[in-house]
Parts: sequence; structure tokens; C-alpha cells
Amino acid sequence: MTMTSLQETDVLSSVQPITVHVITIGRLASEACAVNMSPWKVCVPGERLCSTEVCKAGSGTYIRHSFIFASLAGYVVKKNEGEELPVISVARETEAQLLPDVNAIVTCKVTSINSRFAKVHILYVGSTPLKNKFRGTIRKEDVRATEKDKVEIYKCFRPGDIVLAKVISLGDVQSNYLLTTAENELGVVVAHSEAGVQMVPISWCEMQCPRTHAKEFRKVARVQPEYLMP
Amino acid sequence: MPVDTKRLRGPEESQSPWLFVEQEQQSPPDEREDGRRKGQVDVRPIFARCGLVSQAKGSAYIESGKTKVICSVYGPRETERKDETDMKFGRLVCTFRFAPFSCAKRCGWIQSTQEKDLSMALLGSLHPGLCLHRYPRSQIDVSVLVLENDGSALAHAVTCASLALADAGIEMYDLVLGCSLRQEGSDYLLDPTFAEETQEPATESTENRGGMMVALLPSLNQVSGLLCSGDLEQQPLVEAVAACIEGCQRIYSVAQRCLLTAVKKKNPPPDG
Repeated sequence: MTMTSLQETDVLSSVQPITVHVITIGRLASEACAVNMSPWKVCVPGERLCSTEVCKAGSGTYIRHSFIFASLAGYVVKKNEGEELPVISVARETEAQLLPDVNAIVTCKVTSINSRFAKVHILYVGSTPLKNKFRGTIRKEDVRATEKDKVEIYKCFRPGDIVLAKVISLGDVQSNYLLTTAENELGVVVAHSEAGVQMVPISWCEMQCPRTHAKEFRKVARVQPEYLMP
Repeated sequence: MPVDTKRLRGPEESQSPWLFVEQEQQSPPDEREDGRRKGQVDVRPIFARCGLVSQAKGSAYIESGKTKVICSVYGPRETERKDETDMKFGRLVCTFRFAPFSCAKRCGWIQSTQEKDLSMALLGSLHPGLCLHRYPRSQIDVSVLVLENDGSALAHAVTCASLALADAGIEMYDLVLGCSLRQEGSDYLLDPTFAEETQEPATESTENRGGMMVALLPSLNQVSGLLCSGDLEQQPLVEAVAACIEGCQRIYSVAQRCLLTAVKKKNPPPDG
């Protein structure tokens, strides 16, 4: 393994241009960075960062032949997290495109409902906005944890509601992402009444319109205080 | 003395213009039209920039001689068509187009079969370089537009597309660099111009004449794509591949510097 890595280094160092007139400074990326006196090392995909004996691979990296390589173009960040080895990762300010993953908490908007499921558009993964919309489905039996058979979708969601949900599966060929709201912290966070006013939650299954005082049924989320905006 | 004010008068002393014509220099027999040498790893100077197309997730522009290529990357977004492989791996979709005004002969808007073939070759070359397992159920679109075709369009499209992918923050095992070559008998022309790609051969024999494009993952030193046409014997073929690989390594530092500038321009250094 070390042999391979040595050969790779040889190849890299033999890149020094001889006749090409474009390349004025034929250094490797790391050296070029040092010239600019920036304290942050910038790397390009495929650059070898270090051995797995020195660091643990974080996001934006991959391991090959027991060496850690960068898989993104960005800044190299080394963090000590109290464990034996520091974690090395590659950071871009614009977060690496997140995709909804199993057990991720997502924020979505209900687009349509029927008696069996509600269709949603996933807008956020955690607190990161998605650039493109991903479609998801909340099935009737995944709406709440208790009395699953008595759930009626139209008493839980309405189109336009903003819902916190958790991804339970990426779905198969036919279906989209499958989501669940079967936890106290999950469910509708923002809903508008028929009068068009944002409603206030009054219990875990009801919301009230501040203007008309009409009550509507929703599967309300008990939003954890740390997620509320100050 | 009457002076003709309507005309410019010539200088009092004059010389024949032929005195100023440069004497035609005897060019060495292995010199190409643009001054490069045959049989040497001599790529045209490259200009590369990232992040021109603001609507796209990532984009790149590459100029080499008169060949100009622009590429934009969209996604990852939800797949339109679904089958079993999409569940675990992302789908890469490549579109290679010549702009109507890019070639000597104006080409149509409808994608021609040549463009479809080149799209497939581009897809094949980029595919091994990407970490598609990080993008299950999603699709990454790469569209390449050749603005001016002065030879080696596919090779530069490969380089340009990989720069755009890196600019878009798509996880990759390595950059993918492309280099092409034209074999003429015992000589090869690296990074050929359009004229060199299409010129009529000097001799009648069809032996050892052909074109080649190699896509390389430079820091892993692996060939990810090889496209060869024509009639090549083993020895020239091996030499041609080696020359192309060296040509790719030559443009590696340009690609690196382009990405480094793009990263620094786009993102300030992280805190802490």
C-alpha cells in the first residue's frame, strides 16, 4: 500500500511543467496556498490529505489505501473532538448538498392530501435548505404513534401546512421518501385557517384561528424550545 | 509653389515595402502550423474559470487555443425516471452540444448522433470519478456547450465538466482531465486543432492514422476513459496513451489553480 502511495507522489512531483507556457507556477495546491500566506489550506478533489493513522475521515473526504483523500474542493478543517484522533474534513461555506437521509428531521410543506396519505415537498433537511424540491409521502399509519387505525388524514394535515417530519425510508422504486410524524415533537408547526390567518396551537390535535376563533384539527408538533427563534 | 492640400503628401524619403516583409524562415519539418512540435507533449495554453453561470449549482469555462467550452452542473435533484440502481447510486446525465455557430459548418439545434456519441463518451469518462453512492435517488445533470470548436473539444469538455462538478460541490474521487491526440504515421500531434483533426493525410497509406482521447484521474493516476478511432498498431498506440496521460498531467496544475481561486472567491475561510 505504501508502495502505491509512493508512486502516486512520484507522479505528482513529475508534473512540474517543462515546456508549457501557461503554467507559470507549477506547484502543488498545498504549496500554492502557502505562497498566498493563507492560514487555511485549500484542497481540490483527489488531493491526499493524510494517513488514517494521523486523522479520522470526516465529511468531504474518502479513504483509499489507508490514506484520506479530499472529495470536495474546499478548506481543510482539522478538529479535535476529545477522541484519540482529530477529525479531518473538507468544508465549503455553502454546505455540501445534503440529501434527506433515514432518521433525518425534515421540514416539509403539504401539497395534497387524500384519505390514505399526505403528499409533501421536502424543503429543509435539519436547518439546511434544499436547492431542489424532493417529494415525500406521509402515510396514514405514520401520522401518530397511538390509535393508528383511527387516524383521518384530513383531521391531521391540510395542503399548505408546514410540517416537521422524520425520514423513515428512502422508499422503493414506486414510492418517494416515506416520512413519519409519530412523535410528540413532530407534526404541523405552521398552519393557516380558512380565514387565511396563521393559527395558534391549543392542544396536540387542535389549532385555533385568532380572528374567527374557529378550531381546526391538526396533528400539532410540540416544538422544542431550542428550535424556536429568539 | 502650388500645394495640393486635398491629398496627403508622401514622405520625402521612401523605401520599398518589400524591405519590411519578413523573410520566410525555413521552418523545421516537425513544426505544426501554430508553432508547436509534432511528437511532443505540447498542449495549447489553457484558460479556465469556475462559477460563471449563476443559475447553475456549479459551472466552468475553458479556453484552449481557439477551442472554447462552457459547462454547467445542476443538482442533485430528484430523479425523473426510476429504476433499481437509482435507489443506491445517483444518476449522472450528460449532454454534450455544439453551439450552432461553433463549427466551420453551421450545425442544427437538434442533437445530432455525433453529439449523442460524445455525450456517452463524456458520461463514461466522468462516471468513475464521482462518488455517486453519496447521492442515492437523485440525479446530477451536466451540460456541456462547445462555443467554438477548434479541435480536441471532447477532451476539453471532460476537463471543463469535472471543474464544474467540483465547483458545484459534488463529491468526487478525483478530478477528471482529458487530453486528445492525432496520430499521423510515426508522428503524433497532441491536442490537435480542428484543421489537424480533419486534414487530408499527406500519404495514401492508412497505417497508423487515428485519433485518441484519454481521460485521466490525475492524482490516483487511473485512466477513466479512452476513446480511440482509426488504425493504430500496438507500439504507436501505447506511446499515444502515454503521451495523452502526460498531456493530462500538464494541465492538472491549471485545473487545481482554477479551483483554488474559485473556492477562495466563493467562500471566506471558515471560523474556528
